[in-house]
Amino acid sequence: MSKPKVASDWLCGCAGCHMSLLDIDERILQLVELVDLRSTPITDLKEPDEDGVTVGILEGGINNTYNEEVAKKMRERCKILVALGDCAVFGGIPAMRNFFGAEAALQRAYVDAESNDSEAKIPASVELAQMTHVRAVHEVVPVDVFIPGCPPDADVIFYALVELANGRIPEIKNDKLHWH
Amino acid sequence: MINLTIDGKTIDVQEGTTVLEAAEAAGVFIPTLCHHPQLTPYGGCRLCMVEVEGARTLQPSCTLPVTDGMVINTSTQKVLDARKFVLTLIFSERNHFCMYCQVSNGDCELQNRAYDEGMTHWDLQPNWQPFEVDASHPFMVLDKNRCILCRRCVRACGELVGNYTLGFEERGADSLLVADYNVPFGESSCISCGTCVQICPTGAIIDRQSAYQGRETDVDHHIGVCVECSVGCQRDVLTRDDRLIRIEGEWDAPLNHGLLCDQGRFIPLEEDRSRLLTPLVRKDGSLKAATCDEALQVAADGLAKETNLAALASTRLPAEELVLFKSLFAEGLKAELVTSLEEGSATASLAKLADKLGKPFEASLDLLKDTDAVLSLELDLVAEHQVAGFFVKRQLLDGTKLIVADNKKNLLAEKATTKLPLPAGEETAFLADLLTAIDSGSVDADLAKAAVSLKNAEKPCIVYGSAFASNADEKAIAILLELAEKLGAALIGVKGNANSAAAAQLGLEAPFKKNGYKAAFVLLSDEKPSQKLVKSLEDIPFVVALAAYGSQITGNADVVLPVTMWAEQSGTYLNLDGRLQKAVKAVDAPEGVLSAYETLLQLSEKLSFKPDLDWKEKLMERIPTVEIQQA
Repeated sequence: MSKPKVASDWLCGCAGCHMSLLDIDERILQLVELVDLRSTPITDLKEPDEDGVTVGILEGGINNTYNEEVAKKMRERCKILVALGDCAVFGGIPAMRNFFGAEAALQRAYVDAESNDSEAKIPASVELAQMTHVRAVHEVVPVDVFIPGCPPDADVIFYALVELANGRIPEIKNDKLHWH
Repeated sequence: MINLTIDGKTIDVQEGTTVLEAAEAAGVFIPTLCHHPQLTPYGGCRLCMVEVEGARTLQPSCTLPVTDGMVINTSTQKVLDARKFVLTLIFSERNHFCMYCQVSNGDCELQNRAYDEGMTHWDLQPNWQPFEVDASHPFMVLDKNRCILCRRCVRACGELVGNYTLGFEERGADSLLVADYNVPFGESSCISCGTCVQICPTGAIIDRQSAYQGRETDVDHHIGVCVECSVGCQRDVLTRDDRLIRIEGEWDAPLNHGLLCDQGRFIPLEEDRSRLLTPLVRKDGSLKAATCDEALQVAADGLAKETNLAALASTRLPAEELVLFKSLFAEGLKAELVTSLEEGSATASLAKLADKLGKPFEASLDLLKDTDAVLSLELDLVAEHQVAGFFVKRQLLDGTKLIVADNKKNLLAEKATTKLPLPAGEETAFLADLLTAIDSGSVDADLAKAAVSLKNAEKPCIVYGSAFASNADEKAIAILLELAEKLGAALIGVKGNANSAAAAQLGLEAPFKKNGYKAAFVLLSDEKPSQKLVKSLEDIPFVVALAAYGSQITGNADVVLPVTMWAEQSGTYLNLDGRLQKAVKAVDAPEGVLSAYETLLQLSEKLSFKPDLDWKEKLMERIPTVEIQQA
């Protein structure tokens, strides 16, 4: 039997969950024995295989039209979708802006911030993705496994991946359950 | 007894017990949020829903009384689903993102309940409506975004404290926790007792002093008696890495059951006086740093050569230190005056009555928690001994009559059903008039009304403080006793500082008058000296001060020895109604700073005096005003 394929991507997050994944240290060797690691932000392949992967992992919330596309593509191409970390599960820190809106956030960052000069302006281009409300992944596409945490502990990530590699759905509870 | 079955366990409980209480007795855990053991069951959050066999719908266990033969299931799938749904609704209602919150990771009951239910996420989209954050209060922040509308704070403010500051306006999802008629919290009628911040299950009410300083898992607990007044509340001093973090009331304490006032909870952590760390000795007119041994020697030499000596000690000190102090100065140095800084003002006249009667005549403070008429004599329980005031205030809506007799500014009088004038010094006449009014009525409408209230009461209490104790003469106190006997009223003297009663037991009650003293020893501890004391000491040629903080007294003294403050020492305190309780050391003293006890022992050694250290025996020698209950 061929090894299950795993793909991951990051959306509106800080990459911390992927850093936490790397914190499994030498156990990554065990992991690649168990799974075929395909597209990830830290490997060369950038999109999940067209013919599909077994497990798709998304870090980060969804804050613009581009992230929506990535999430939908991952959902289409994977059997089991994992939301990894508080941003993917709840929206996380970026979702704070929902309380005052994307416009106010852009204004603050690109115009009003003390480090900006008088010519500062909000970038505008049709090439750019359109900002939206920051949402948890499951508000956009159905999610099968939720692993909260900011970031989730490396041990919890390792446990979840080993379970998934073995065809089981990981149970995130008790000492493995930890939001921030 | 009522017999019922909870999760297959049968249990017998008293009629009137709730299903939640019965489950607890049977060892079955039912999660709750709006419920609190000190509050009346409310049934607001619906987390404690259980399945009752024969009932059509799930029932909230906190408000459901048991009935005979009831069969309860607390963990069927239906119940578990309902719990998750209730939590989902709460989480999605406001900003309950744990990562933005100060109390998350252990101190938040909402998060803990979600962990218990294994919630990895919640299905409903959150409501992104921002609510106000009110940071106008010096000690607390109201973050209404974190509020789960459980109303524990509102109920505690009313039911426990009787202050009715907190309330809700609007309905449903718009419900808003407000102070008074939605004024800034810091400008409201709040008295800063902090019961709300202690009882809040989430981060909706934040304690400013301890925010981000450490969670439950990071802190050490030191449970002991509060030393801020004579009520004797039990409190928990929380520390982390030898730093004071926060003070909380002990919910299980039989006297204060969790309540504290601002003096016991917040003010002790706002200390801004300069700490004394080095012994000082006056040389050539100015105070110079000295070694402890040198300072003790100068003090011992100076004190030993003067027979015209006054010795005064703070009644904030533990009984052990007061006994040692008395032994050293009364027996060792034969000082002319050995007294407390309160000079017996709160206790002397009452202690003398106990001496005369040969038995205690005052009653337990517990009686003030369940009374139908209170007569308060020259005492403002809103300004001092506040927790005793809470006991009174919270009963007023139930019809308890409050008669306040005082001519000074009295905040308790604002809540009184009857106010009576009582000019200082007129206590005898006042009490005689009241006694007459009780026997045969009065033409004075207020006095007649007060007399009727007291006469009709089944469980009246008469409370009085230091002003009454020091103004009232022997005759007034005799009438007071007669009045209490006639009414069947409990007499409760609130006394003064934390160990006023112990000082009274030791007879440290002589007044300190200018008397040409040649030397004085002032054991100030961490007490703030009064201007009167500063003035009284000014003319005394040789003054030794033991103090934790710098003051005019230490500035003028000839020898200053730094001592520990309240959090750095353990010891025993005798409260106003005779409870002997321990104060517990919470943090280490700064290096080189000794307790007053150790300093007094060293001074005794310098004077070659062996003090009597059996404090318990000394404390029991005199007949107390109220029976002493040994712990």
